[in-house]
Amino acid sequence: MLDTLKATTLPSTEVTGLPTPMLSAHDVCVSYSGKQALFDVSLDIPQNEVTALIGPSGCGKSTFLRCINRMNDVIDGCVTSGTILMDGRNILEPSEDVVQLRQKVGMVFQKPNPFPKSIFENIAYGPRIHGLANDKTELDGIVEVSLERAGLWKEVKDRLNQPGTGLSGGQQQRLCIARAIAVSPDVVLMDEPCSALDPIATARIEELIDELREKFTIVIVTHSMQQAARVSTQTAFFHMGYVVEVGATEKIFTNPEDPRTNGYITGRFG
Amino acid sequence: MAADSHIVKSYTAELDQLTTMIAEMGGLAEAAVADATLALRRRDSDLAQRVIEGDRKIDALEAQVASNVVRMLALRQPMATDLRTIVAALKIAGDLERAGDYAKNIAKRSLILNQSPVTGPISAIANLSQMVAAMLHEVLDAYVAGDADVAERVRDRDEDIDAAHTSLFRELLTYMMEDPRTITACTHMVFIAKNLERVGDHATNIAENLVYQVRGEHLIDRHVVPGERNEL
Repeated sequence: MLDTLKATTLPSTEVTGLPTPMLSAHDVCVSYSGKQALFDVSLDIPQNEVTALIGPSGCGKSTFLRCINRMNDVIDGCVTSGTILMDGRNILEPSEDVVQLRQKVGMVFQKPNPFPKSIFENIAYGPRIHGLANDKTELDGIVEVSLERAGLWKEVKDRLNQPGTGLSGGQQQRLCIARAIAVSPDVVLMDEPCSALDPIATARIEELIDELREKFTIVIVTHSMQQAARVSTQTAFFHMGYVVEVGATEKIFTNPEDPRTNGYITGRFG
Repeated sequence: MAADSHIVKSYTAELDQLTTMIAEMGGLAEAAVADATLALRRRDSDLAQRVIEGDRKIDALEAQVASNVVRMLALRQPMATDLRTIVAALKIAGDLERAGDYAKNIAKRSLILNQSPVTGPISAIANLSQMVAAMLHEVLDAYVAGDADVAERVRDRDEDIDAAHTSLFRELLTYMMEDPRTITACTHMVFIAKNLERVGDHATNIAENLVYQVRGEHLIDRHVVPGERNEL
């Protein structure tokens, strides 16, 4: 009874007064083999909020997302400049420990990509390599809590030894989210996490994002404007490598300042 | 009306159709107010009857706007300027439908008044009606042009209408006190004057909704600020 009466927490409507930023990007520029993809992007990512990055294909939103966990490092010819501050450190510094960074900044991709291992091993892998569990009991605990938080525990608790790839698409994506949060990151990056899922699985992920917001800071790239509007509290509109406008999601989708933002979200671009 | 076109052309066409329907409703409501007052002045019961019957068309258009709006919200999932345009259209249609109802009520009262001798400040009522019809006309022009500045200026004129209404009410009281035999007729005129004043309020609402549609900001509704002016 109490559960059914539990009040739903609505996203805050004001960006002003949001907590200290978890991440603070200043003048971030990225180019791929001399072709500039991101121009002087400055953007604060508030803590325990969901920030949506929207914009047409090739606008730089995924490039920016991939800066946050240094995924661009693996691309030949990719040059990044500027700063992204996290806990007072510039995570773009070449001397930064990328493995450490990726423990703090987890990522979920467009297509669910579970390891070809058991459900248990998919979750246990991260905590094990980062040495987060002292013994088997602790590791079991982490696996259970992570799956619980990802809303998957009840569905898989009796088949933890079965392969993760045997789950449905939506379950696989929740498994990937469980895997991402198993190492207790501060930030979870999501790159179009629902584009391969059906509407029901999408709704489950969106509900999950809303719950995860309490413990994690989330940055989501999505092509679905409706999804950005549903899940985020802050939205940034990227266009041709620039951040055109950033603000409270409610403001962006009802009364954006920039005509380009209005053009894009109303479908007048092109 | 849409500043530029959607990639999906049928979406632009639907928005344009919404604007056209509002403009049509506006034209009908404006004519209904003017005709109802004319019917009163000329003691023209046929015209009054036509105003009463014509209200059905305004009601039907409002129902059509409401149905189109619901369909567009469900199927187009409008955002930003489109969302505001669609929401404003729904509210403006409601205001115009009410304006039509007030005109119909004036027409009904004029049918009753036509059965007794001429009395009361008919020309003052005609004057108030003219002010209200002009306000409605201008706010509808502003709507078609998407001009929030004009809407804001039109909105400010509501105070003149309220003042004219108050003065007309006092005049009617004088008539009634001087000759109690006019009380029945003058009471109808009190209601007619009030109806006209209410049409002015709806024109004000339309102006406010247009400002919201264009700028995305809500003007504070002066009708709910207590003690700001003496309303009857």
